[in-house]
Amino acid sequence: MVRQTMFVTCAVMIGAAQMACGGAAVPHAEMSTAQAAVRAAEVGGAPEYPQAELRLKHANEKIAEAESLIKEGANESAQRKLRQAESDAELALSLALKEQAKKDAAQALKRIKLLMEETKS
Amino acid sequence: MKAFASSRLGLSAVALVSLAALTACGKQAVPPPELMAARQAYEDAAAGPAAELAPAKLDTAKQALTEAENAWKEDPKAKEEETLVLAYIAERRALTSAAIGEAAKARAERIKLDEEYMELQAKRASMTAEELDRVRARLAIETNKAAQKEAELQKERAAREAAEKRLSAAVASLAEMASVKEEARGMVITLNGSVLFKTGEFQLLPIAKTKLDEVAKALSDQGYKKIVIEGHTDSRGSIKDNEKLSLLRATSVREHLVSQGLDANKIQAVGLAATRPLDTNDTPEGRANNRRVELIVNN
Repeated sequence: MVRQTMFVTCAVMIGAAQMACGGAAVPHAEMSTAQAAVRAAEVGGAPEYPQAELRLKHANEKIAEAESLIKEGANESAQRKLRQAESDAELALSLALKEQAKKDAAQALKRIKLLMEETKS
Repeated sequence: MKAFASSRLGLSAVALVSLAALTACGKQAVPPPELMAARQAYEDAAAGPAAELAPAKLDTAKQALTEAENAWKEDPKAKEEETLVLAYIAERRALTSAAIGEAAKARAERIKLDEEYMELQAKRASMTAEELDRVRARLAIETNKAAQKEAELQKERAAREAAEKRLSAAVASLAEMASVKEEARGMVITLNGSVLFKTGEFQLLPIAKTKLDEVAKALSDQGYKKIVIEGHTDSRGSIKDNEKLSLLRATSVREHLVSQGLDANKIQAVGLAATRPLDTNDTPEGRANNRRVELIVNN
């Protein structure tokens, strides 16, 4: 009985939401996924590397576009923007990781060269 | 689906799918630039380190590309927003997998370099230890040599000091009959004539011999280049007598010193009579001071 009631309530709620927006549901899940991806990119150092920063900018712009689309009730388009934003943010993070790893490798190389020179002299 | 395991095969499969889409529609449809970019990005990623180091990410990218290709097949004119969005996402997924592959490669390189660094450091530390041992051994030899040299020097110094001590002791024992002065012409030992000889004689008194023995010993210890023995008289009596007496007295001293082992070739005796008085010849004391034998020692 309880499960049935819950099911019905959910169905009613989803229906109401869909009606309110005139079509597709508000893409809450996509929004939080995109926002989480942006935060991860920020924490991962994307703002420090220009190429990563550019992708992060794209992600933020797409999220902003999605927000205004949601306000207009264009939920389906908003959902697409959010999926794009998520892929941009993920790219931003991986570019930052790549740059960081390259930087670390260069430093390790420099360190070993220094030691070799010291050893020679 | 095993053909998809290889990225190149995967690509050709994708191409086939696109080709099938073209033929199905019977038109020469040009893929939208978003899809072309996605294909290129995937091709690049598959050729990079991602294939080996980030295969899961690369597979995700491939799936996204397949989705985009399928959407385009359904919608060859790309009228649907969704078709372009899928291509957009596929391109990003491909770029992401490429970046993750590069990152993994750089990380592996870094780990290798760090290991090499540790190895080199360890090698260097052990090499330094070896070098230190060598230096220590060398130092030990040098230190030994230095110690030996120092010991020899110490011995020489001690010998010289002993000789000097003996000389000063000899001179001190001569104090009542002699004085020692450093002058420009050398060290001058002045022996009082009355202690050495009886009046008018040139034979050494026994006490004088004893004292001269000490002087001879001290001089042979000390080392000398040349000794001049000068006989001096007061002004009484004839010059000729005085010259003769002064020379005889100087010669007596010389002979005694030679008999004690001093080198005869280095000792010269001269008689200077009263030519170089030390004091006045008008008083008995002055005259006593003028009667003397001087030893001028040159080192």
